[in-house]
Amino acid sequence: MSQALIELTDLSFSWPGQPALLDIPAFRLEPGETLFLKGPSGSGKTTLLGLLGGVQKPDHGSIRLLGQELTALSLAARDHFRVDHTGYIFQQFNLLPFLSVRENVELPCRFSRLRARRAEQRHGSIDQAAASLLAHLGLKDPALLARRADTLSIGQQQRVAAARALIGQPELVIADEPTSALDADAREAFIRLLFAECREAGASLLFVSHDQSLAPLFDRHLSLSELNRAAHGACAGEV
Amino acid sequence: MYLFRLALASLANRRFTAFLTAFAIALSVCLLLAVERVRTEARASFASTISGTDLIVGARSGSVNLLLYSVFRIGNATNNIRWDSFEHYANNPQVKWAIPISLGDSHRGYRVMGTNESYFEHYQYGHRQNLQLAQGRAFANDPFEVVLGAEVADALHYKLGDKLVLAHGVAAISLVKHDDKPFTVIGILKRTGTPVDRTLHISLGGMEAMHIDWHNGVPARGAGRISAEQARNMDLTPTAITAFMLGLNNKISTFALQRDINEFRGEPLLAILPGVALQELWSLMGTAEKALFVVSLFVVLTGLIGMLTAILTSLNERRREMAILRSVGARPWHIASLLVLEAFALALSGIVAGLLLLYLGIALAQGYVQSNYGLYLPMALPSAYEWSLLGIILGAALIMGSVPAWRAYRQSLADGLSIHL
Repeated sequence: MSQALIELTDLSFSWPGQPALLDIPAFRLEPGETLFLKGPSGSGKTTLLGLLGGVQKPDHGSIRLLGQELTALSLAARDHFRVDHTGYIFQQFNLLPFLSVRENVELPCRFSRLRARRAEQRHGSIDQAAASLLAHLGLKDPALLARRADTLSIGQQQRVAAARALIGQPELVIADEPTSALDADAREAFIRLLFAECREAGASLLFVSHDQSLAPLFDRHLSLSELNRAAHGACAGEV
Repeated sequence: MYLFRLALASLANRRFTAFLTAFAIALSVCLLLAVERVRTEARASFASTISGTDLIVGARSGSVNLLLYSVFRIGNATNNIRWDSFEHYANNPQVKWAIPISLGDSHRGYRVMGTNESYFEHYQYGHRQNLQLAQGRAFANDPFEVVLGAEVADALHYKLGDKLVLAHGVAAISLVKHDDKPFTVIGILKRTGTPVDRTLHISLGGMEAMHIDWHNGVPARGAGRISAEQARNMDLTPTAITAFMLGLNNKISTFALQRDINEFRGEPLLAILPGVALQELWSLMGTAEKALFVVSLFVVLTGLIGMLTAILTSLNERRREMAILRSVGARPWHIASLLVLEAFALALSGIVAGLLLLYLGIALAQGYVQSNYGLYLPMALPSAYEWSLLGIILGAALIMGSVPAWRAYRQSLADGLSIHL
């Protein structure tokens, strides 16, 4: 079997003083794959994303990202690794309102040399990388790039967030309910754009949502409760 | 550098709070520097009130009291001293020069001092500067001539040739005036920034002539009155003066002469060293000056605490900002640095604005303060001491900024990538 992008083995995690929230015997995400992970709030999905981002450490078990064992890295090294290889899109209000659209998109390149270098290699400069990604995502107007991020519509903001997640070609894009603030039509259009861009960049997409209607669009869909043996923990206070 | 830009952009997003915070710091910095400047200047101008005089002699009382009335024209002598005591010491071989001083009258709130020409020749202030006439000349033979200090001439709009009437006693409003013997302005002194500016100088003869027909503190009536013209032809050698100043040939003899005067058999006299008495006096006022300085330090502290509060309050509503930054790769120490940089930016802009306010204030108040308080506030760059004060403020701001930085650090570790609403 080829190397997985994400590989979880015997992973368990609990918040201090609470029963186990996550207990995942095995999970894989292949390179280039798009995966829909269904998880209602309280199912431990935020915690799982935290573990994948290296912000939390599992009680035991292994998390491998691109073959790198995350639990073996220091906190600072995990931070480094995360930004080098993962782009994030959140629910809404993803952007720093006081920066311009362009500066928002370029943020990961400010903190990751690897992504800055990749953006330069592919597009010539970070500025061009941002402009090109935004154009692909339907934000072509150059005047728009200089505007403050909070002057954009929610739909536009989510596309800017997608461009930010994709800049510098991280191997993995994690989207946490990115469409919940969009209406149904915009939702599907956004996901198709996201797919196209992930494919173009060769990135895997881990898409977490409670909205089952989107699931058929993905290569594969899974429910966190199928994955998680500690599913009874769903009522724990985690939000 | 990028972090600093981020911090500035984030601050600009909260520009109203940021502006108020920086403004509070600016005001406190301005106050501190203003107090510091006034303090330094007051001390310097105080110490330079009199120089070159080796001994001041008056009736026996306290040294500070003697200094106050003889140099600062504040308060009154308890007693006069006899003219022959003055002559006794003026003729002492160790004495180079002697200036007699006779006080007790006033003109519209300004003190009148009777003296002689040696005052203009030998009295010194500041760095051994002699008195200089801006206009006219010193008084000569006619007893009814007056030389004005610069402030008196300015404030009362007197010019050469004007006639003025002196009042008996030193109250601001005096009921008894020497209106039968008006004086003519014949000279105006250059500004010195010392009490000399607030003094009217007349000759001892003039002082004597004004009071020649006075008995027991009241003017004579009717036939007993002596007109100015008659007085001019009389012997106007005074019988008593208030104090005198001595310059010696040799500084070494100062203490010996001081002891000699203090043990003078003729009448009880007190001789003081002006420098020593000035220090004694300053140590009295120094407490107030230090208190003022401490108060302004506390105002600066209040400004900085205001900043701390503003940053701490903003932390909660900025959790999203922190989480976004974390998701794009900012490490917790980046987040902490952002907050320290924010404090730094606020304090720095507060300090810069405070300096600007100070210079604006000096530019506006310089003339007024100089003419009303005799203090010259220099429009100079901050002194080394002032720079170090500013440095300490900036350092304190950084230390204070590390409090929210630490909290944000902990917070961003706990929150991770989850965005809290």
